[in-house]
Amino acid sequence: MKPDRSWTPYLFVAPAFLAFAFVVLIPALLNTGLSFMDWSGTNDMIFVGFDNFTRAFRDDIYLTAYRNTFGYIAWTLVLEVFVGLVLAGLVTVKGRKTGFYRIAFFVPIMLPMVVVAVLWSFVYSDDIGLINTALRGIGLGDLALVWLGNPATALIAVSVVSGWIYAGFYMAIFYAALQRIPANLIEAATLDGASQWRIFFFIKVPMIRPIIEIAVLLCVTGAFQSFDLFYVMTNGGPDHATEIVTTYLVEVVFRFQNLGYGAALATIMTIVVVALGLVFTRIRSRSGGIDIEY
Amino acid sequence: MMSPRVNSVVFHTVLTVASLFFVLPLVWMVVSSFKTKREIFDSPFSLPTTLDFSVWTSAWERGDLGVYVVNSLITTTASVAGILVFGLLAAYAFSRFRFRFSKWLLLPFALGLLLPVQSYLTAQSRLFDAFYILDTRWALILPYVGLGLSLAVFLLKGYLDSLPHELFEAARIDGAGDFRMLVQIVFPLMRPGLATVATFSILSCWNEFLLAMLYIQDDGLRTIPIGLLAFTGKYSTDYPTLFAALSIITIPMIGIYVIFHRQVINGITEGSVH
Repeated sequence: MKPDRSWTPYLFVAPAFLAFAFVVLIPALLNTGLSFMDWSGTNDMIFVGFDNFTRAFRDDIYLTAYRNTFGYIAWTLVLEVFVGLVLAGLVTVKGRKTGFYRIAFFVPIMLPMVVVAVLWSFVYSDDIGLINTALRGIGLGDLALVWLGNPATALIAVSVVSGWIYAGFYMAIFYAALQRIPANLIEAATLDGASQWRIFFFIKVPMIRPIIEIAVLLCVTGAFQSFDLFYVMTNGGPDHATEIVTTYLVEVVFRFQNLGYGAALATIMTIVVVALGLVFTRIRSRSGGIDIEY
Repeated sequence: MMSPRVNSVVFHTVLTVASLFFVLPLVWMVVSSFKTKREIFDSPFSLPTTLDFSVWTSAWERGDLGVYVVNSLITTTASVAGILVFGLLAAYAFSRFRFRFSKWLLLPFALGLLLPVQSYLTAQSRLFDAFYILDTRWALILPYVGLGLSLAVFLLKGYLDSLPHELFEAARIDGAGDFRMLVQIVFPLMRPGLATVATFSILSCWNEFLLAMLYIQDDGLRTIPIGLLAFTGKYSTDYPTLFAALSIITIPMIGIYVIFHRQVINGITEGSVH
């Protein structure tokens, strides 16, 4: 459609674009420039070229943060996406009333991270926490570990909390997608004598593959954006066992006041995230993506 | 092959156990707020002896929770209003008008969806500092609006794209100007889309933590997430009070969710899948 006056579209886009530019674009550009500087926020900015970047690749903590982030991604793919898929399958079993359960699964998503973190810190507490008290109560006291304090279990512990929060979210997404599968397809399969199990695995799941792919992308990008839970529950501890890229970044910038280095870490992270996004889109289009029109 | 009856029992049992996993920690938290610290230690799974709400009132007062709630209300309302208005204006232009540079102007918003805020957080904080915005409400409202616009623009554009051409052509023939079309035709039709964006935005803004923590030092301006964190720091071992404060904040949210669950779930899932 041609606008009334040639400048009206620009007028309409302006507020949003200006706000967005001020908050995201300009900082993003500035941040890239800042990566090449050494600055503590108060002293003079000194140009240091690629020093920050070379330092990053030798920074053990930074590299550990990536390892942890990818570990976290792996766990959450299982605990959030896979569990969500299973739950979605369960609540779409033919002929069952499952509204109540769906509401229940989705509740944790409403909560502020602080509430979740404090609550689960208590659940995981090694002396008075729910898990260990229960374990001791049934005689399995040996299994009562220091969940959040033990580097071996800390990341998994936080990942479980993440799963608690988001499994319901993925269930809801998959549920919506499953609802859109034409009923007659399911009918036909049921009439052919297939069990709910087989219908789910061999018909429903393949049909919502695009949504599953999006869910995986959401999970991966979401993991990189994760901060709140890690910060409040463990703040990267114990001993950097739960240090992820974002927590380390915040520490470098706001605690160590090393803005140039922090900006460089952020630039590297941005490249990684964008690369992952591109790889993902490439894989999707390569695999054909048969779009079944319904 | 089990009888349908047994099948049903097994099915519902499995789902009930699963639901309990998701709901029980919260229930436990609320129940525990009525116990004394001793009781929580000694018998965490027992029911409280009394329903003493005085812990709740004292938590509210001592923690100044009212201030946090008001701040969250102001920040969230202002931000969501900005997101909806600016987002709709921009989406309308992107969707219905052909104009030069439209692709270039739209592309950055896509970037906003992909990037973690930490990618530009450092520079953003310096920028805000230079403009003396830090430690004011604008330090939160501006980023919330900016960040929320990415999703809003794409979602609303998607809705707008699906509106039929004829609708606009007919209005044009009737002599409607661009702005009139927006107000009289587009806006009424966009209510579901706006509701979706609103739901998603309200939830994001209300629970936003990182920026609220970094940009606001003034206790009088703190929003709920940071207020709760400060409260946790002060009352870290006073579990009944702590749980009471958390319960006070959480229960209304869950209440609203349960009442509006259909809209909430639709809003959030649609907001993410697009």
